[in-house]
Amino acid sequence: MTKILLRNIDVPDFHRLVTYESAGGYRSWRRVVENMKPAELIEEVKASGLRGRGGAGFPTGMKWSFVPKDSPKPKYLVCNADESEPGTFKDRLLIERDPHAVLEGTLIAAYAIQSHTAFIYVRGELAFGTTRLEQAVAETYQAGLIGKNIFGSGYDLDVIVHRGAGAYICGEETALLSSLEGSRGWPKLKPPFPATHGLFGCPTVVNNVETLAALPWILDRGAPAYAALGTEKSKGTKLFSVSGHIAKPGVYELEMGYPFKKFLEEDCGGVPNGKKLKGVIPGGSSMPVLRPEEIENVNLDYESVQAAGSLLGSGGVIVMDETTCMVRAAWNIARFYAHESCGQCSPCREGCHWMEKIFHRIEHGEGEPADLDLILNISSNIMGNTICPFGDAAAMPAAAFIKKFRDEFDAHIAEKRCTLAN
Amino acid sequence: MDPVKITIDGKEVITSKGKTVIQVADELGIAIPRYCYHPKLSIAGNCRMCLVEIEKMPKLQIACNTQVAEGMSVLTQSPKVLAVRKAVLEFLLINHPVDCPICDQAGECWLQDYYMEHDRQASRFDVGKVHDRKKTIFGPNIVFDGERCIKCTRCVRFCQEITKTNELTVINRSDHSTIALFEDSVLDNPLSANVVDICPVGALTDRDFRFKVRVWYLQKTPSICPGCSTGCNISVESYQNRIARFKPRINEAVNSHWICDEGRYCFHDLAGGERLTTPLVRQEGGLVAATWEQALQAVYSGLKGSSSLAAILSGRNTNEEAYLFARLMKKLRADAALEVFYQERQLSEVEKILVSPDRSPNFRGARDMGVGSSDGFDGLLRLLLAGDFAAAFIVGEDLTKAADPATVRAALQKLSFLVVQDTRVTETSKLAHVVLPAMHFGEKEGTYTNRKGRLQKLNAALIAPEGALPDSEIFAGLLELAGEKNGYGTPGQIFAALAREIPAYSKLTYDAIGAQGIELDSGGRAAS
Repeated sequence: MTKILLRNIDVPDFHRLVTYESAGGYRSWRRVVENMKPAELIEEVKASGLRGRGGAGFPTGMKWSFVPKDSPKPKYLVCNADESEPGTFKDRLLIERDPHAVLEGTLIAAYAIQSHTAFIYVRGELAFGTTRLEQAVAETYQAGLIGKNIFGSGYDLDVIVHRGAGAYICGEETALLSSLEGSRGWPKLKPPFPATHGLFGCPTVVNNVETLAALPWILDRGAPAYAALGTEKSKGTKLFSVSGHIAKPGVYELEMGYPFKKFLEEDCGGVPNGKKLKGVIPGGSSMPVLRPEEIENVNLDYESVQAAGSLLGSGGVIVMDETTCMVRAAWNIARFYAHESCGQCSPCREGCHWMEKIFHRIEHGEGEPADLDLILNISSNIMGNTICPFGDAAAMPAAAFIKKFRDEFDAHIAEKRCTLAN
Repeated sequence: MDPVKITIDGKEVITSKGKTVIQVADELGIAIPRYCYHPKLSIAGNCRMCLVEIEKMPKLQIACNTQVAEGMSVLTQSPKVLAVRKAVLEFLLINHPVDCPICDQAGECWLQDYYMEHDRQASRFDVGKVHDRKKTIFGPNIVFDGERCIKCTRCVRFCQEITKTNELTVINRSDHSTIALFEDSVLDNPLSANVVDICPVGALTDRDFRFKVRVWYLQKTPSICPGCSTGCNISVESYQNRIARFKPRINEAVNSHWICDEGRYCFHDLAGGERLTTPLVRQEGGLVAATWEQALQAVYSGLKGSSSLAAILSGRNTNEEAYLFARLMKKLRADAALEVFYQERQLSEVEKILVSPDRSPNFRGARDMGVGSSDGFDGLLRLLLAGDFAAAFIVGEDLTKAADPATVRAALQKLSFLVVQDTRVTETSKLAHVVLPAMHFGEKEGTYTNRKGRLQKLNAALIAPEGALPDSEIFAGLLELAGEKNGYGTPGQIFAALAREIPAYSKLTYDAIGAQGIELDSGGRAAS
């Protein structure tokens, strides 16, 4: 299977510039600066079919093309390295083991929108990764790969690594920008969109680590090579972080469209200890959970997972076997979102905790039969009515757990305890 | 502006590009509920109360942040919209203490009003409310109740965008989010109490008004702030014939939505204290009570017989009073020196947003009426203190506060005849030969002309105590003694007379002033 993002992940010392360059690193960067016009670069990435890997899957080249070319304001490229979706740890791997790929992708994207300042916003908890990125940036400055008049082209680019304070919401692109501006990490209203009014009110593109890390390869091998991989609408490869009740957890790179069941059973070694699969979340904790029968014919691409009633999201695959108490799992997720809601808009601020408190009550044997419909109603009252997608991220899993494992919730409420064998 | 055609609730309207749905709805009188939206503040979009349905958009959109577009069709009353309003209200109320019985906002609370209009369901929340601070002092005028707060951030934005003093922020996250002062800061800027007015709920209350009276008992009289010559439009809100509070009235030509703290609380000083309710005439051994007839006769003979006369009118007297005062003084002595009280002070940057440097709301109107001299008030005061006058008539001002008290007292004592017309006993009135009990701004009707030349109407909010007379009636009584019987009864009649005489007012009529006032140079047409 073609490996793009993880092709060098096990090479010793690959975080050093010398190692990275010896494997062809910064070849794309040089070619882009020396030979490509920004518009050509955008077209090339559009042709590759690359879509945002942060979770939303928006076409990357198209996102770049929204930046106004004639704006008198400075433009900013921001690498979103605030990976915080529970069950997702793919960006962290790239940052720690292949930081130059992340950086080179950042540079290419910055060039595409003609930004002269790029930021890498790293999740607060990723202290080690931040060090790696800072080293990578220092090395590239020293080697003259960034800074003033790069390769004698007259193009200037500075890169600033910024470590966040560790709030989940700052992974949402507009909250990230607020945080980067020095404000509270609150999402901004859209419109206006970051492409025209982003960081400090200037045109800004925010791209995910994994998205950017794919760029050097795409520019090196050409868009057709990337577009040849994957399905009709989901091109290329994608990283999957697999955790939970699975024999071989870890980060996997798969060609888009890979059969989900085969992946879990063969590549990841299946559910260990002879247990049966009870449920799997395909795209990080905010995505609806799927039952075993729902993944029978699902392939790991945006469209197929969506058709099955969930979303590919960040590719954070959380596997739960038959011993998992789904009430406890739902409460655990609800608790996370209740804690992380930024508190800015009413439905999310008030609704997340309300759901969490009811899940808590059910889990602790104090639930009432009406509680389930109440949570479903609260969830639907939050869905689509908030400033940012966080509301949906909290509402979707809550509703999915109840709808798909209602028997278990009913039993919990009726018996006033967990009914799993223990 | 480019015209844009949109449809709201089936009604087609032509509006202009750049406007938001909520602005257009407001213009049409279509009520879209809102908490965080305020026309003078930036768009926060956080309360989600103004969500409306827009054709061809999959999700509901907030009306406050959605700009109109050609062909847009908006539904503000669809089942989806009504359902989401109910849902949002429920969210806002689950952690709210519903302590309306002890809340000052009750009766003018947007949670109460919208609950009755859009929610009306029993609480489904039984899992323990979040508690917060109940009475945190934010500043000398403001107290904060965190449990009632809905985090609309109007107060935060006011301090960021209007006063630019940045005292407030939001702290903590999730349902523990709350409003707080920045470290080492106090909400004591000169416009601070406006946050109480814009707080849609009972989170920010006025320490001065707090627990005084339920708002539904208040009698609201539209009037003009007597604090300075900006002439902010206010509502004088009274209970049991006492002023309970001032609230701003919106007037974009004057004060927009705001009033300053000094103006807001000036009624304590101007309308408080023990009143003079009987005329006093100096006899051997001191001031003794007299009838109005005796007192007016004493004033008339005392002034008529004086060799020189200084006449000082309060900056809070109305145009109508000033007109009669000028006529009276000139009738008594053609060479009388007339002035309206006027002193300036330094203003801070925040004060400059609204406050004028004086405390004479009608100095400009008084001068228009002829109460003025070439050297101004300071010049006249200097002459008075230098002993240039034999007699003086001082209305509504304690001159011992205008200069060194001992000097003033000494100068006034040397006068052969001093008349003081005021509402209360002052250091100045104690030196008078005749004291005439008058009425304050809250008890009378009339007009003020503000610093910029806008004529505005003062209305009587309170009933004056028995024994005190309106200044205009006192002046008219003295004019009658001086031989001018004009028969003016009401301020409107006096205004008609002054409009005939004063060119700048000649095109204006009393009835055309309206609630928003009228520019002197408008040619008599009220501003829209």
